Amino acid sequence: MSVRALWIISYERGESVAVRFSRRYPTVEQRAKCMAGSLYVSVPEDGTVLQLLLTELGLSDSDKPYMALRDDCLHQQRSPALELHVEGPSGGVLWPMLVISQGPLILACLAVVDAPADPRPPLICPLGTPLDIPQPGASSASAMPTPAGTQKQPAWKTGVHRGRAVVNVALTEMVRSMQYGNRNRQDLWDVYGTVTCKCEVEGVLPNVTVTLTLPPNGSPLMDVLVHPCVSSLDASVLTAMSVEDCDSSSFSGPYKFPFSPPLEPFRLCSYTSQVPVPPILGTYQLKDDDNQLRITVSLKLHESVRNSFEYCEAHLPFFNRDQMGSVDVKVSSGQLEVSKEKNLLVWVLGQKFPKSREVSLEGSVSFSGELPGPTDPLCTDLTAYIKLYFRVPDLTLSGCCVDQHSVQVYSSAKPRIVTSRELLSSEYFIWNSTGTAPVSSGHMML
Amino acid sequence: MSANWPERISAFLRSPSQFLCSTTSDIFLAEVLHELRDDRASDHIKVLLLSPLLEHPTLLCPSVFVGEETALELMSVFAQCSPKSLPLRCHLLLALTSVLLCSCCVSSHTSASQDFLDLLLQMAQDTNDAQAGAALHPLRTTACDCLRELEACLPGLLSQRLELLSSLRQQENSRLHQAYTGLHALALRNAVYLLTQQKEAGAGDLKAALGSNEGFVWGEGADSAHPNSESHSDLALFSPLTLGTMGKVPSLQTGLDCKELRSLLSSLLEESYLLTSLSQAALLRQLVEVLAMVPAVSPTILRAQLLRLLGTCKVCLLHTTLLMKAAFTDSLFNAEDEAFLLKRLVGLSQHPLLSTPEKLFYIDCILHFPENRPISSGDESLPVLLTPRLAAALVPTVFNDSVSMLARLNLLSLVYLEEGEEDREGQGGRGLAYLYDHLTSLLRIVENQASREMVVTFFRASFLFLLHFCHVERYSEDLSQRLCDLYLRRTRLAPHLINLADRTQDRLEESGWAVALLRALQRTITEAPLSQLTLQDLRWHLRILARVAEEGEVLQRATLNFLLCVITSSSSALCVSGDWRLGNSVLGVCRRLLLHPSLDSLLTPLADLLQHLTCHYGETDIQDHARLYYTLLTTLSQEKLAGVLAQRGTERGRQAKVRSLSAIMGENEELTSGLTVHQTERPLLRLVKLDKHEPDECRPEHKPDSEPACETESSPGQGGIEDYRAQFQSSSFASEITLQYHLTHTGVHDPHFDKLFSIRLHFDLTDGHYEEVSDISVPCLFRTRKPPTVRLRLKPKQPYHTTLRASAIFTTEDGLSWHSPLADLHVAFPEVFLPLLTPLGWAREKKQRVFEGIWGEICSGQSEGDLTNTATSLFCDQLEDSAVGELVEKYFQRYLVSDLDKGRCNVLFFLPPQSHVLLKVITEEDAVQVHIATDNWKLLPYINSYLEDITKEIHSTQQVNGDV
Repeated sequence: MSVRALWIISYERGESVAVRFSRRYPTVEQRAKCMAGSLYVSVPEDGTVLQLLLTELGLSDSDKPYMALRDDCLHQQRSPALELHVEGPSGGVLWPMLVISQGPLILACLAVVDAPADPRPPLICPLGTPLDIPQPGASSASAMPTPAGTQKQPAWKTGVHRGRAVVNVALTEMVRSMQYGNRNRQDLWDVYGTVTCKCEVEGVLPNVTVTLTLPPNGSPLMDVLVHPCVSSLDASVLTAMSVEDCDSSSFSGPYKFPFSPPLEPFRLCSYTSQVPVPPILGTYQLKDDDNQLRITVSLKLHESVRNSFEYCEAHLPFFNRDQMGSVDVKVSSGQLEVSKEKNLLVWVLGQKFPKSREVSLEGSVSFSGELPGPTDPLCTDLTAYIKLYFRVPDLTLSGCCVDQHSVQVYSSAKPRIVTSRELLSSEYFIWNSTGTAPVSSGHMML
Repeated sequence: MSANWPERISAFLRSPSQFLCSTTSDIFLAEVLHELRDDRASDHIKVLLLSPLLEHPTLLCPSVFVGEETALELMSVFAQCSPKSLPLRCHLLLALTSVLLCSCCVSSHTSASQDFLDLLLQMAQDTNDAQAGAALHPLRTTACDCLRELEACLPGLLSQRLELLSSLRQQENSRLHQAYTGLHALALRNAVYLLTQQKEAGAGDLKAALGSNEGFVWGEGADSAHPNSESHSDLALFSPLTLGTMGKVPSLQTGLDCKELRSLLSSLLEESYLLTSLSQAALLRQLVEVLAMVPAVSPTILRAQLLRLLGTCKVCLLHTTLLMKAAFTDSLFNAEDEAFLLKRLVGLSQHPLLSTPEKLFYIDCILHFPENRPISSGDESLPVLLTPRLAAALVPTVFNDSVSMLARLNLLSLVYLEEGEEDREGQGGRGLAYLYDHLTSLLRIVENQASREMVVTFFRASFLFLLHFCHVERYSEDLSQRLCDLYLRRTRLAPHLINLADRTQDRLEESGWAVALLRALQRTITEAPLSQLTLQDLRWHLRILARVAEEGEVLQRATLNFLLCVITSSSSALCVSGDWRLGNSVLGVCRRLLLHPSLDSLLTPLADLLQHLTCHYGETDIQDHARLYYTLLTTLSQEKLAGVLAQRGTERGRQAKVRSLSAIMGENEELTSGLTVHQTERPLLRLVKLDKHEPDECRPEHKPDSEPACETESSPGQGGIEDYRAQFQSSSFASEITLQYHLTHTGVHDPHFDKLFSIRLHFDLTDGHYEEVSDISVPCLFRTRKPPTVRLRLKPKQPYHTTLRASAIFTTEDGLSWHSPLADLHVAFPEVFLPLLTPLGWAREKKQRVFEGIWGEICSGQSEGDLTNTATSLFCDQLEDSAVGELVEKYFQRYLVSDLDKGRCNVLFFLPPQSHVLLKVITEEDAVQVHIATDNWKLLPYINSYLEDITKEIHSTQQVNGDV
């Protein structure tokens, strides 16, 4: 345990700020004092820490447009480790303060650095060493105490499972896209997937192997990250990486992940992949016509994608304009919902594209409302986008799948094995081709 | 009392200092301990009561004695606890650890700490719940954790217990093996380190240490490593990899025979998989340290774990991999591994499934990548393998959150800076062009009413860009222009722009970009059509112009014209409105203009402006200040103005200036003190008389008679006295006496006055015998330097002694003016004497003739002058020959007209303006006769007392010589 102190702070924008919990570790503090020597700065009381932290995070005095302490351009907060500048005679810099914001909570801890304070060691130097963190979803209800035996029980496993053996493997793939409809700007899309498991298997250290397979000419899974319960990895699983050009001859499966499962559901592995085409290709064109926008949209579902959605919607928001007045828009398929307050058109495409796999939207919208609509700093003038939301069950774009029969469980009872897969949209944008669209990746220009 | 314990404890934890204002730590500690002993209090409350001891043991137990007493109390509470009170017992163990460690009981090796250690070890030895059952798991875990903390704070404490720790770890099969592993690994690491510090320790010692099962080591190793000690090797105990002497990892020379250690490390590594990620990381780190210290065991035993660690999604485990790479470089990672690891880091830095803090951490890891063959060392440097192509994955985009965007911009700036160095034209490549495009995209967002956070981010990004690419004029000039355009559209960005200018000026002093920006902003403001100027814009403009006015290099004419236009002509409504804050801002600009080096050329318009404000501004305070500035401008020298207005401005720095609401209020006090002449309490200066006489300047020189000086054309025969008299036709001739003094500090020692400048000495007469004395200026007086010489010229009306009142006005280093009196200056009668004044080159005989002439005139009463004024007298005294010689040499030398010859000589004192005193000294046997003749009989009493004084003096020195 090498954390000098930690804080949990609740912060609701401009409303109330309070230290909900704090804890100091005086024995670690002693070591910190020893390591830092003359540069030692003691941890101030909670009220002071709170104020310093909010200033550092740019959250203090939110009613003031500029505060020298908070907004100085010299102050480049670029790493997860902040510095707090303590004033006064015993003042100095407290570092590294590790901060994570989670919803209305700010979690902060001050770690001890096992190195002299000056020159400041890079973060790569060891920080604190807490022993464990609670696993999300861990429940002790199903856990039984471990029977005495010769096998050592993993420290990350709270007990053993008793009851029917079930292994559940779910593959979720997300597709992102930036489509510009512009010859000078390359459209982008990629997918990333996660394999989530819940394994209810008996034994102190049961062995399970999940194998991911790709279709014959599928492009390899890249940037593979595995859960620490995976006991061994083949080097070839890790070779493909999105940051370099892919070699078509490189390893493309099967990807074997032997592991001993924890009791709670966990993310066994994740990957990214590059697929040849985006599932839905769209064009979006706006023409500004005397405070009235003429809109033309067409969407085409790629033939390789199964035409069976759980839902599919296209959202057309309009920013930095007055509220919508008249909306005169026709769609070739699906329904159109208009939210005048939000300046939003929602095109509900439903479960299926028509046989042609093409749909279109055309019409005009005037912005003659008396109140201003929502604003957005990015989408001014003709910079506008359509965002797609869809889910296709039982599909992955990469072709990656977990075959039920490929899941091996070395256990006395034969388990029931359930596998599933799905495709979800994430950050799926189609930009208006008559406006300037923001650059979203360095690969576009190089 | 017990009812409010939760409240009291939380009040204490919230702010111990405030809590202890209303009680003392002794009383509070006594209360806590009393309540802990109370059987009626619930376990829940007792756990709560322990938290002050857990978190602030040093406040409550400031000495070993109090610590020991408290520990004994806690141990007895622990002993009396019901076995079922598990949480309380665990917390008691933790509190005991805190108290004993922090009050230095363990390092002082007190009996309570020994008992406590025995207790912990005894609890830890119940592996697999053989005695107490699984219910006591938490207690056993806590005991292990306490032991680990003790070992961490006093490294080496358990170094003679390694065999026990090893067997406990191996025996334990429940989840608790993690606690034993952590304890064992730490003790092992510390034991190996201590061996490296022993001279000639080798394989045998290592083997012995691994198999040791003795007591706790209270000896030197543990004691000297206590956090209060300072030596370097002690620090290295906490982190041998980074802190070994001279950056070298301490090492243990064992030869190849390290079977035991190797198999121990292998078994720890094999089981590492069973630990939680965080514990695994800690374990691996300690094993890396052991391996680094014992070169006989090859680091390749880590290889089996590497792939698992490289593929992990856990930050802490990948971090350990980087640590291994830093420690073992190419003996564990070949070039291919290195390339892989770097690419992996780049990939992780932008992985869609990772959180922002994780990605930021990986970017940081790239900038501190442990290369096998590092070229540069420094704070942030790029790994050689990070090509622009690879780094392109991390270009900043407008979709990034602020912190990630800045981190990416910083990284890519470094990449393209290096790329640009290869580019001959120095214009940067496509990468740089992209970064600049990105910056302009951010600028457009800011233009479109972006959030405060976005604005701040944009200015930080601009600063970062300039920091790296200020030299690429194509971009830096364009940015400057765009910022001006942005400013006109969003004037409330003024403080950000000023901040950017300040910071770039500090960091890129030689580039001049900040001054160029300020100049451009001045142009933007002053050239914009006045008809569109709103009041709000004007407020911001004035802030910018005030900052521009601080730049000596920027001409200020445009600013003044702008202010004149705004104030005098078009919107005279401004003046009528009498807005104090606005007026204050205008004066803020004026104040800086008063300090501007080109003030001379601004004099008229600035005076016009101030006068207009004085007469027409509808706010009295502003009028007053404008009048004050006007007066300052028109009456003070530029240097004094600068001294008065700029006082302490630089010391307080910009932030303080920004904070003060008013441009004038803040300065008001300083102004007053700057313009007031302060009075010193005591005299600080004095004038010390110099005995040496002015080298004759207005008077003819005394030349030795050996020079048969030319009997010049002006000396027709014996007409000496006429020539002499003729000199007096010029009224200024010989009308002054000059006295020389050293100006020095008095004994009063105040460092504030060590350096004085522009000293002006003033003298007042106390009688009517002299003309008014003019002031004397001395440029400076430093306590450390030679004192300056001051020449005081006195013009007597009557040649009498006098007293002058003296005082000084001067400036101290901080620009304040002071008045200080000096001690009265006494001018004695003989100080008025001048020798016979003759034209240059007169021979001794001729002077003698003048003497005889005057003597004759006085004695014979044939003088044409005022005969009633003449007088003769005789002074006699008993003096020996030698004494006469001394008298003449000491007092009359300068005034001799003839040399001392057989006890005779002639002496002439001239006393300005027109008086003469002539002496004929005649020695006869043991008596001296001084015949006196003067053309001013009123001088006789003074002459008499003068002669009495000097003969008395001679007598006393003769006496002394005779005694010797």
